[in-house]
Amino acid sequence: MSRYLVRHESILAILLVLALIVLSLQSDRFFTVDNLLNQGRLMAEVGLIALAMTFVIVSAGIDLSVGSILGLVAILLGVFWQNVGLPLPLAMMLGVFVGGLAGLFNGFIITRFRVPPLIATLATLALYRGLAEGISQARSVRGYPEWFFVLGQGEVLGVPTQLWIFLACAVIAAIVLGISTFGRATYASGANAVAARFSGIPVDRTILLIYTASGLISGLAAIIFVSRVSTTRSDMGTGLELDVITAVVLGGTSIFGGRGTIIGTMLGLALMQALKNGLALAGVKGDGTIVVIGLILIATIIISNLLRRESDG
Amino acid sequence: MTALIELAGISKSFAGISVLRDISFDVCAGEVHALVGENGAGKSTLIKIMGGVHRADTGEIRVNGELMHFASPRASAASGIAVVHQELLLFPDLSVAENIFMGHAPRTGWGALDWPQMRRRARELLDRLQSHHIDVDARVGSLSVANRQRVEIARALSQDARVLIMDEPTASLVEEDVQQLLSIVRLLRDKGVGIVYVSHKLPEIFALADRVTVLRDGARVGTAPIGELDERKLVSMMVGRPIDQLFPKQATKIGAPLLELRDLGFGSVVRDVSLTLHAGEVLGIAGLIGSGRTELALTVFGITPATTGEILVDGKAVRIESPQQARDLGIAYVPEDRGLQGLVRPQSIQENISLTVLKSLATGTLIDHRKEEKLARDSIAKFGIRALGPRQIVRQLSGGNQQKVVLAKWLATEPRILIMDEPTRGIDVGAKSEIHALMSALAARGLGILMISSELPEVLGMSDRVLVMKNGTLVAEFDRAEASAEAVGAAMTLANNASNRSGEAA
Repeated sequence: MSRYLVRHESILAILLVLALIVLSLQSDRFFTVDNLLNQGRLMAEVGLIALAMTFVIVSAGIDLSVGSILGLVAILLGVFWQNVGLPLPLAMMLGVFVGGLAGLFNGFIITRFRVPPLIATLATLALYRGLAEGISQARSVRGYPEWFFVLGQGEVLGVPTQLWIFLACAVIAAIVLGISTFGRATYASGANAVAARFSGIPVDRTILLIYTASGLISGLAAIIFVSRVSTTRSDMGTGLELDVITAVVLGGTSIFGGRGTIIGTMLGLALMQALKNGLALAGVKGDGTIVVIGLILIATIIISNLLRRESDG
Repeated sequence: MTALIELAGISKSFAGISVLRDISFDVCAGEVHALVGENGAGKSTLIKIMGGVHRADTGEIRVNGELMHFASPRASAASGIAVVHQELLLFPDLSVAENIFMGHAPRTGWGALDWPQMRRRARELLDRLQSHHIDVDARVGSLSVANRQRVEIARALSQDARVLIMDEPTASLVEEDVQQLLSIVRLLRDKGVGIVYVSHKLPEIFALADRVTVLRDGARVGTAPIGELDERKLVSMMVGRPIDQLFPKQATKIGAPLLELRDLGFGSVVRDVSLTLHAGEVLGIAGLIGSGRTELALTVFGITPATTGEILVDGKAVRIESPQQARDLGIAYVPEDRGLQGLVRPQSIQENISLTVLKSLATGTLIDHRKEEKLARDSIAKFGIRALGPRQIVRQLSGGNQQKVVLAKWLATEPRILIMDEPTRGIDVGAKSEIHALMSALAARGLGILMISSELPEVLGMSDRVLVMKNGTLVAEFDRAEASAEAVGAAMTLANNASNRSGEAA
């Protein structure tokens, strides 16, 4: 397995380098420190959620509700602060907490009632989005204090604040998935949940924790999102789950579970963001960009499947 | 006798690795030719060449003296060769008749399916197999494994097979069904069908075969009429060295009670089971499939926690609600279904073995990879696992070596109570005797072993005491001395509840 992963990641790394070279030839504004850091800023929310999504998919699940959780938490942040009148730091914490609860609820439906994750989170995708829209009544919240924008618009040591947060979370996620007992339980549950249970791994608890983490981190991403765009609207994060899943799968995580790494997800994210930005700078329209990303996704999966078959035979 | 099918000088290699070298083999009309050998000896490849799945690199295949080149399974079937595979390839949601005629159903003049003819011919075929009780309209998924196998045989016969290749047909059958299958095979043989019979079970081979061909490491060791062989000789041909005893349970000192069950129950599948397992003892549990043996093991191991009764470990009452609790109490369970329950097959040997002991390999929560690798290396050496190294993927190992990995991962927890469910199912003679020797050694070290097995010789050979389960409860108990195949077999199928029980163990 490890040999295969190295290979998939090498393919991605090569693709990423190629993409960077080609894109920087297309536009001289692409390969500049300012542009790259700005791309990091734009990528942070999808990136954060993709870290949790890597765990979810490795455990043979899927979480479609992350975009809706992001929208719900964004709305609640505004409501808690403006309508309820809580201090903003408390409203932020409460928002993230609700995100965690939403994730916990996903995990609960999946583990307790054996609802397939695809169905469970498809339902909560609608549920959480509906709640967000019901609460917001199509009003948007503005006028956040200046210090709040540090999170989404500010810099620390010349690097966007949220990029630091993302990198810190990525290091933690890589360690947990790569070498902790919890990570091992995640792989085993995804590759063969029955055998994992028969080996004394608390499979249900592992799954429950993973979906809770997915909700928490979607909540955190919501706060950063609001801070970055300085406003709160109920349609925030619509369709975000597809970007997240694309990045994770592009990074070599098997949709059937049991296989995937944080490094792979990081490479997948970087490749996706580079293409989006680079192609836009090169004058390609939005729909063209989506087509290219789709093709690259299919190509990487086919190449790595071919290589894997070779190494297995 | 003329050969129905004759193979000469067959060689085959995959990706440069030679799996068959210069094999000659033939089957005559009206004979059972057994094909035996350890896992990996090349039996499956040879079958696939006869069945048209693989093409031989060199050598000739002749059917009725005519040189053939099978390009596909269809071509092989058209020449009258049918294969009954180990894992039955039926469609569970279709009827018996539909399965029998899948791909070659009779048609009416209009090209539509001729249902009346299909049902009538299905009936005739099943009757030929003395399977009058199978309804041709029944859904195949609702049939027992034994009946499904008959459907598969009928399917082979529906294509006018002259040669029937059976790949471990009794691997998942209980004793009673095995006997009936053997009589069906004899019936076909007497009608002039040539049968290639692949099996690990030596008693069947001696009961059935006219000739035996032994393969080892891709080469033919020899072909001999069954009359010239005995069990010992056949085994040494297969393994390449003599094996003294197939079931080497040594007498050990029986110690204190380790595990006691008192009126243990789970729903209606396990009822009022009371037993005591002592240190150094191998307690065999015999019974038909569905008698509640595995369910009892799952209840003790906490997969399906007990609903009534109590469990005592070292004389103290305990609650077991999860496999984690069972493990922490020193109970290990080597499950029935290796691929599903025992192993995470896409993962490495190392990751599989460490799965039960992750906590003790970790500093805080981070796994110490050197410790983990050392555990795997030690296990590979200790259990004689034939593998490239700790990082080899478990799926690539043979059945016997996979079973050793399951044993290794559970013995890593240093259990005192070991429950083994079908410990040697589907593994070859050499690995089987190694596992039996290991069980014996573990008992000698003071472990208590609860062994569930459908193989009566194994139960009789390995157990210090034999318990018989039927309808979810224990119906008979035998000491090693009084346990005979007849007595245990009769208790499995006939005994009324409690009529035969010679006394409560506790």
